[in-house]
Amino acid sequence: MKSKIINVGGGDVAEIKIGGCEPLVFLGGPCAIESRAHALEMCQRIGEICDRLNIPWVYKSCYDKDSRSAVTSFHGVGIEEGLDILAEIRQSQKVPVVCDFSDANLANQTAQVVDFLQIPAYLCRQTHILTAAGKTGQPIHLKKGQFMSPWNMKNSVRKIESTGNEQILLTDRGTFFGYNMLINDYRNFPIMMETGYPVCFDATHSVQLPTSMGNVSGGQREFIPYLVRAAVGCGINALFMEVHDNPDEALSDANTQLNIRYLENILSQAKATHETRLELAERWGDDNVHVND
Amino acid sequence: MRHGLNWRSGGEMTMSTLTTNRTIRDILLSPTDIPAMSARTLVKEALELMSAKRLGLACVIDDDGKLIGLFTDGDLRRLLLKSQKPISALFADDIITHARTEFTSVDRNMDIEEALKLLQDREIFDLPVLDENGRLEGVIHLHPALKELLVK
Repeated sequence: MKSKIINVGGGDVAEIKIGGCEPLVFLGGPCAIESRAHALEMCQRIGEICDRLNIPWVYKSCYDKDSRSAVTSFHGVGIEEGLDILAEIRQSQKVPVVCDFSDANLANQTAQVVDFLQIPAYLCRQTHILTAAGKTGQPIHLKKGQFMSPWNMKNSVRKIESTGNEQILLTDRGTFFGYNMLINDYRNFPIMMETGYPVCFDATHSVQLPTSMGNVSGGQREFIPYLVRAAVGCGINALFMEVHDNPDEALSDANTQLNIRYLENILSQAKATHETRLELAERWGDDNVHVND
Repeated sequence: MRHGLNWRSGGEMTMSTLTTNRTIRDILLSPTDIPAMSARTLVKEALELMSAKRLGLACVIDDDGKLIGLFTDGDLRRLLLKSQKPISALFADDIITHARTEFTSVDRNMDIEEALKLLQDREIFDLPVLDENGRLEGVIHLHPALKELLVK
């Protein structure tokens, strides 16, 4: 099933195409912008790996961490400083950036800097946020809520489409399985592909154990490589992972961010799996088991 | 001459005694009286519309009003027997996914008798009525057609 292709970036930064039979795109970076120096360093190091592997990529980091377990959790550097840092990264590294926002009133300000506007999974039904994002005209990275069925994401897609914006990437980041536990249902990819838009797998949030540690979320990073290979084999168009040079000391999502020392290994396998899948599709055609057979 | 239907002992309906000159224009259910909808109407909304309009035939039209699909009560029965999706997922499908895109239609100048014969031959209750450009003008339904013939 070939999706439409969306365009991210261009102009001052690299233009990235996501969807169709395009190469697998990586969306990655530290969960939160922790400091200007850290953000820049992480961008440079991830960029070196992606350049070496010839993987198109988008830098991800957020200025505001509104969905935290505790009021004392790190809340982010704030929109002013955060957007300044992201603007500097765009200019110096020539890489497009993706960042989320949690308040409809911040959509325009955020979209003036970032290339790709992300809708947090917990907010994926919020009409004001979805339409505010759509109206900016920027492509939208829409995460499926952990509580949402894949087929009901169509309602969120149509809220964005109601603004005339048809540049959407749909991402699975796990589904609640009881309390404090997520599970990955890979049927979500072909089901969300039925919207016609490209799909993405968020590997690091998928291994999260939400708020499993009282006032902080846990996670099982050891499963990331397995889940990544399976998701890429299912036909995703982009892979999302939060990457940090010292996850234990990360200011957010310390239990799920991937240590950068594993990044090249995982991205290499993801790229090879994606290329193999495209070859298989070329040779065997689209998956063709139908309900009426 | 009295218009009516002649029921033979076997119960089979024949048109032999019908001599009306009326066309189906006289019994046409207009687009506002029928469940007409866009391709992206959800199955659940389509079923609601069919119930509200009390017609077992959903007419899927494009932006120009052209008929592009039909979905009937019978299609729903077959779908429920075939699909193993959860009902919540089926409800969220676009109606066009399950609509038939090849269908018989008639034009408004057809005689009522001829139209009834067509309904009888095909053992169906409804037929879409299209203009020369394929746009939906309405639907003929068995019961209004019978009423027209029986009452007048």
